[in-house]
Amino acid sequence: MNELMAARSLTTLPVVTLSGEAVAQIKDTVFDAEAGRITGFTLSGRGLLSGPLKQSLPWTAVHSLGHDAVMIVDAGVLADTPVVVARREAQQGRVLHARVLTDEGAQVGTVLDVVVEGGTSGRVVGFRIAAGKALVQGSRRRRHRVYVPRGETLAVSGRALVIPADATRYVADDLPSFAARVGAFRDGREGTPP
Amino acid sequence: MMLFSQARGLPVLTLAEADEIGVVRSLTVDAPSGVVTHVRVRGRHARKETVLAWGALHAIGPDAVLVRSAAAPAEVPSHHELPGLRILTETGDQIGTVQDVVFEPETSRIEAVRTVQGDVPADRLLGLGDYALVVRAG
Repeated sequence: MNELMAARSLTTLPVVTLSGEAVAQIKDTVFDAEAGRITGFTLSGRGLLSGPLKQSLPWTAVHSLGHDAVMIVDAGVLADTPVVVARREAQQGRVLHARVLTDEGAQVGTVLDVVVEGGTSGRVVGFRIAAGKALVQGSRRRRHRVYVPRGETLAVSGRALVIPADATRYVADDLPSFAARVGAFRDGREGTPP
Repeated sequence: MMLFSQARGLPVLTLAEADEIGVVRSLTVDAPSGVVTHVRVRGRHARKETVLAWGALHAIGPDAVLVRSAAAPAEVPSHHELPGLRILTETGDQIGTVQDVVFEPETSRIEAVRTVQGDVPADRLLGLGDYALVVRAG
């Protein structure tokens, strides 16, 4: 599996053409309404004084999302921003701070960040959440920030999202161990009969 | 076989008159085809930089570069300094910076780009710009 990345850490990542020129940097990541995959990125210019750009980067034009850069073939693939941000409800702001509930009705926390897979898939594999008491035992002061896998069935309303109850068995404290948990979660689902 | 670091600083002389026109400052590379296309020469006293096409060179030896004509080429491509530049794979991961470049002075062909992690063969080079040298993931 490709490297996992938190969507917030993508901000300021340079957008680099295959001919080695940095043409922009990531301003924000845009997801589809189901928070299932990245639909594109809004961009800002590179450098301290440059503001947001009129152009955006649709996911279909991304060559690869890497640890150090978003690669594109050339600057011609950038599109006008309204094309990428066509559906306002698809914006990241609707997912952030949303409550996370299991399909058994327990609240497990609120969304802090969205975890995506690098490479060419653009898939959302999970969320970084501020865990509630139901999920992480212990004193309230040591309120945990943990990663939960997304699961294939996910309902998103803008205020809340519902994940399968068994996803909460695969929480992790950091991204590297989360990558292994996501794999185990997927394998476990495929192994069990419906 | 020669390194960019060895070529830098070599005196550049005309073949017919043995006039020294300066020293090699840097080499311009075309990454997709993997060849050195131009040599940038800095004057000894005037500090003026001249650009010579590879075709104008007679020989690059261990101690000097001999040129047939010191006339500037009609078209000068943009120069990107390779040593010190970051290297990105086409998947967007940085794999270090360019330390040196190995090339054949007889043919202008680049053999490899040298990094701390080892050599990147020239057939992996994809593009070279202001920001990075982009290579195929190996």
